[in-house]
Amino acid sequence: MAKLDGKRILACCANGAGSSLMMENAIKKVMTRNGIKLAELRHCAVSEGKSAARNYDVVLFARPFAKTFDGIQGTTLIPLKNVMSDKEIEAALKEAGLLD
Amino acid sequence: MGSVLEKIVEQKHYSFIDGEGVTWQEAVRLSALPLVADGTVSEEYYKQIVACIEKYGPYVVFDHNVAMPHTTENAEGAFRTGVGLMICDKMIDFGEDEDGEKKEANLFFTLSAANADEHMDNIAQLSNIFMNDDLLDALAAARTPEEILKAAADFPCDEE
Repeated sequence: MAKLDGKRILACCANGAGSSLMMENAIKKVMTRNGIKLAELRHCAVSEGKSAARNYDVVLFARPFAKTFDGIQGTTLIPLKNVMSDKEIEAALKEAGLLD
Repeated sequence: MGSVLEKIVEQKHYSFIDGEGVTWQEAVRLSALPLVADGTVSEEYYKQIVACIEKYGPYVVFDHNVAMPHTTENAEGAFRTGVGLMICDKMIDFGEDEDGEKKEANLFFTLSAANADEHMDNIAQLSNIFMNDDLLDALAAARTPEEILKAAADFPCDEE
């Protein structure tokens, strides 16, 4: 079973309406390509994401928002350079040991 | 439903500017004007976009000099869901990002989100457009709505 099966992923951006949706699309592509079934994939604004982060296994966001998530534990935080890049997301998940 | 670029042309949500000496704040205002013209957004809508970029930095400027000015879903003054496209002769300077990398844009895809499904469809299509360098080059060179449509036809995005 793939490591991310049944996990919960959150994508955050400033408003929860632009780049977080792009991330969500890119994450979907990565999951489909790897045959992974997530329990949940959600997007929201960073303000909400900060308190919601602990309820998710992985939280992704664009690098300018990294400071917002400083010090949050118990979840894997993944800052991205290009939020649309499924390749970057795939590589980052591999690096975090969440994808084979 | 047509592609997002076809809709931009159909709804006259496009504009072409020179861009010389235009600040990014002014560029954001100009990019929203075609959306203001048919009541998709209010005249004041762009101010929320500017405030957001001032707060978080130029994170709405992506690779290949593409900017996607936007706010939140159901923002004040976002009456309908739509995408405006502004094409500039000169690059608009957005300053530097958190790594000190210079951010500038000549393509502005300005978003208004009132309907979640429609907005999601626009975002999904824009993601594909933003990863299609040949299409972005052709759009940056376009100076008429016909050339926007020709760019879309010449460099189609993969459907996924």
